[in-house]
Amino acid sequence: MKHLLFAALCSLIAAPLAAQDFSEGSEARSWNLYAEVPARFTATVTDPLCELAGQCTPDCGGGRQQLVLLREADGAMVFPLKNGQPAFTGAAVELAPFCGQTVEVDGLMIDDPEIGAVNVYLVQRIRPEGGEWRRANQWTKDWATRHPEAAGDGPWFRRDPRVLSEIEREGYLGLGAEADAAFIADWF
Amino acid sequence: MRHILFIAALALPQAGLAASGERIQVTGEVIDTWCYFSGVMGPTDAVVGSAHHTCALWCSAGGIPVGLLTEEGTVYMVLKMEADPASAGGDTNLHIASHTITADGMAYERDGLNYLIVETITADQDIVEQTHDDFGVIPGFAIPEEAAQ
Repeated sequence: MKHLLFAALCSLIAAPLAAQDFSEGSEARSWNLYAEVPARFTATVTDPLCELAGQCTPDCGGGRQQLVLLREADGAMVFPLKNGQPAFTGAAVELAPFCGQTVEVDGLMIDDPEIGAVNVYLVQRIRPEGGEWRRANQWTKDWATRHPEAAGDGPWFRRDPRVLSEIEREGYLGLGAEADAAFIADWF
Repeated sequence: MRHILFIAALALPQAGLAASGERIQVTGEVIDTWCYFSGVMGPTDAVVGSAHHTCALWCSAGGIPVGLLTEEGTVYMVLKMEADPASAGGDTNLHIASHTITADGMAYERDGLNYLIVETITADQDIVEQTHDDFGVIPGFAIPEEAAQ
């Protein structure tokens, strides 16, 4: 009997930690990704360099460093790789204003352990404590402010001077102009 | 009772505990972690190397974290490259997008994800994986029409 009680206690402790479902209340829009799981949870916005290595800055790097979410329910460190824009844009700019703060986030976890995708996230909206939800779609506006010289038509990634400079230097394949020319002649 | 407390302590989550780092030297490709993990652009072997180079530039400039993908398939999320913490600013990692590098730095593991603070790039082999031979460019619009004429 003692053993049964002992086993029951262990499973009670371990069960909530093994597989928590954070999809309740989520309004995340599907991206039709193989391993996406809707997830809405409360977390603290934190600098991973500070959390892991003790290399802390007062403002978490002001949007230029990657940020993580320390989930309140289980303490897991979740890495938001992507904001809500379908435009090759990350999440740090969206989360930076909330450095050190508790927020609620809604989006998609990507859960594919076979390739190492564990606790990685696409954030679609953020709500600070006591505040309103805001869409995680500020990146392109922030980019336009930082790059007024690149104003014009078309998506940002066609106009970004840093990207254009790299393509000018190494080509679209990264192998040089000659490789690009051979590929284009063969493929298009 | 002592046994129960001991087992209970073991069952507590690893999350929340400070990670301890390990100095490593590791070789791998500098990848775009979103395309690699999400599958949004296709299977993992299509989103590495030359086929995906332009997209890797876009994602790195867009502030998506870069990773270091080893030959064994381990992905390290890079938080600092050569002591520069501006890994979300788009200016740090563009020149090594899709390159296979050897890095010396501190590795951490937390909640199933590997992290790397690169102190020094000790070797840069440029782009090794010439995946465009098999996949073309990923995504298909990576080369704009006017450049493909």
